[in-house]
Amino acid sequence: MPVTLVRGAPGKQAGESRWAVETHGLTKRFGAKTAVNGVELLVPRGLAFGYLGPNGAGKTTLIRMLLGLTRADAGTMSLLGYPVPRHRDAALARVGAIVDEPRFHGHLTGRQNLRLLAAAREPAARDRIGPALERVGLAHRADDRVSVYSMGMRQRLGVAGCLLGDPQLLLLDEPMNGLDPAGMAEMRDMILSMVAEGRTVVLSSHLLDEVERTCDAVAIVDRGSIIAQGPISELLAGARLALDVDCSEPRRARALLMGTTLGARIEPVPSALGLQITLPAGTGRGVVAEINRVLVEGGICIYRLQPVQTSLESWFLQVTGRLGDPE
Amino acid sequence: MELRKRRGLMTALILVNIGFTAVFLLIRLIGHAFAPYANPPAGGDMIFEILVAGFLSTFGFIVAATVGCTAGSRDLTEGMFRHLVVTGRSRLALYLARIPAGLAIVVPLVAIGYLIVCAVCVFAAPAFIDDSNVNIPPGLSLAGFETWAGDHAEPVICLLPYNGPIPGNVACPGWSKSAVAPSQPAPAELEALAVKIASQNYQGYTQILRRPPVSLMIEAGLWIELEAAVGFILGLGLASLMGSRLLPVISIIVLQLILTPILSAVDLPHLQDLQRSFVGLAMTHLEPAGLPLARGVPGISGGVGRPGAAQSLLPESATVAVWVIVAWLAAWTILGAWRMMTRDA
Repeated sequence: MPVTLVRGAPGKQAGESRWAVETHGLTKRFGAKTAVNGVELLVPRGLAFGYLGPNGAGKTTLIRMLLGLTRADAGTMSLLGYPVPRHRDAALARVGAIVDEPRFHGHLTGRQNLRLLAAAREPAARDRIGPALERVGLAHRADDRVSVYSMGMRQRLGVAGCLLGDPQLLLLDEPMNGLDPAGMAEMRDMILSMVAEGRTVVLSSHLLDEVERTCDAVAIVDRGSIIAQGPISELLAGARLALDVDCSEPRRARALLMGTTLGARIEPVPSALGLQITLPAGTGRGVVAEINRVLVEGGICIYRLQPVQTSLESWFLQVTGRLGDPE
Repeated sequence: MELRKRRGLMTALILVNIGFTAVFLLIRLIGHAFAPYANPPAGGDMIFEILVAGFLSTFGFIVAATVGCTAGSRDLTEGMFRHLVVTGRSRLALYLARIPAGLAIVVPLVAIGYLIVCAVCVFAAPAFIDDSNVNIPPGLSLAGFETWAGDHAEPVICLLPYNGPIPGNVACPGWSKSAVAPSQPAPAELEALAVKIASQNYQGYTQILRRPPVSLMIEAGLWIELEAAVGFILGLGLASLMGSRLLPVISIIVLQLILTPILSAVDLPHLQDLQRSFVGLAMTHLEPAGLPLARGVPGISGGVGRPGAAQSLLPESATVAVWVIVAWLAAWTILGAWRMMTRDA
């Protein structure tokens, strides 16, 4: 599948690049295994961007390379226009990140952990501790030891830690992990509010439903390579079209459609008077009308003919080959 | 802050540097206050030497090294290191920042413990000088010492060393100091003998101190602070290199309590340079001259002395010792910083 570039608004901020994240040929190997394989990633500024992939696809490794936590074996990358690792200090000064499970010193309170992090940033970071704790809803537990925090509270503390640097870019690795539904909703709202402030949020996840609700654009990574990226709406527009058809004589209807050149995959719906039709990606709306015409002219009574909205999850499974590809 | 909030570590640090010595001295103070004849005074030069050279230096080093190991490993094992790395601060700066932060904890605690020792040893020093178990007033001139000896002939004759003929058989409590003649000497003869013995022992008497001199206290204070600082930096580097705390702590204990005393006590003709390269031996060579190791008193950590000392198994100049210490500090700092800069966070 060809790579679709996301078209974001050009920016003239730090590093004078329109991209918050830019990688070219980024590669990381662990022995014989290639965890990240020539990744070409362009994340425009000012939106929520999902980096999607199944477990082991190389999502966390990519983020770790971007943050300088591990070295790349090949390729180039930049954050906010600053090439890293050459200018990682300037780049990371305006980047906040959570990588893997957020872990802190358990014997210190949330506030004390943030003080440690603030000490490693510019002096103004210390003044942001209180507002950051307020923002993530931890102010009332800020003086409890982190060892008694729940997973969700640690995630929120991690986000508070990200906010200490007043980041233009947030890299969140699986931020929904371990959160209950209410916590996920809070995290989603927090991410959206940060995007509304003009920050860029890149989140890696395998929770496709959450990503679809949160992100404007995504990149799909599988086995270390990006197989598609772009705005979710554009990507889904290119997905295969599915139709649910309720009709009389489903068997004859299926035979009629199989005799056409539509290239459709047609499955009877068990225990129902109907068919499920899957059309190749890029099929136009006219084909729906053509199906209707063939069936009506064949004397089939049509009770319902409904295009099924493709979800990010079903599209993801299509493009990663888990459902097979009729093309 | 991260280290200061570790209760177990801080308790150990306070116990070793302050608690044990404070309790030991307190018991001596109380014992002497209630039974002054049965219990010697709490302070004095000898107690100072034992506490500083025998306890504070060795265990202060180990505890400081443990603090260093904690500073070098805990951010890593508790997942905080990656948070610090993604702030953009250079890893080298993150490493180097730990040195003053750790020393800011270790140095004051060592100083507090040491000041307690100094205070007790000075203010609770014995009123008399103990020379071979003979209590002698301090500060006597030769004439005064001889006069005092004449007035205390029996303990002087019985207990002070004497290189000369004994005129008769002097009866001492539980034994006798034999002489050629079996008869008991006359009191005048005993007095003359005591004066002779005093004259012979006067130089030694002038070298025995009731309380540690100020210069020794300053030198010894700087020395144990150096021990603690070296221990901390060594522990920091080793733990940063290994990425854990337990193994480096065990290694340092083995180095300080087993390897260093062994290398101090044995003479390895073909490996003397290797022996000299150990930081523990180098630290011993920098020990102030008034402390027992420097004087070559055996029984404490092997008793290696500096040139001219009573036991000089392995002579080493102060300059070489300083270079050995500097090399150890530099090597472990470079190794620790290098590992921190290259490790996956």
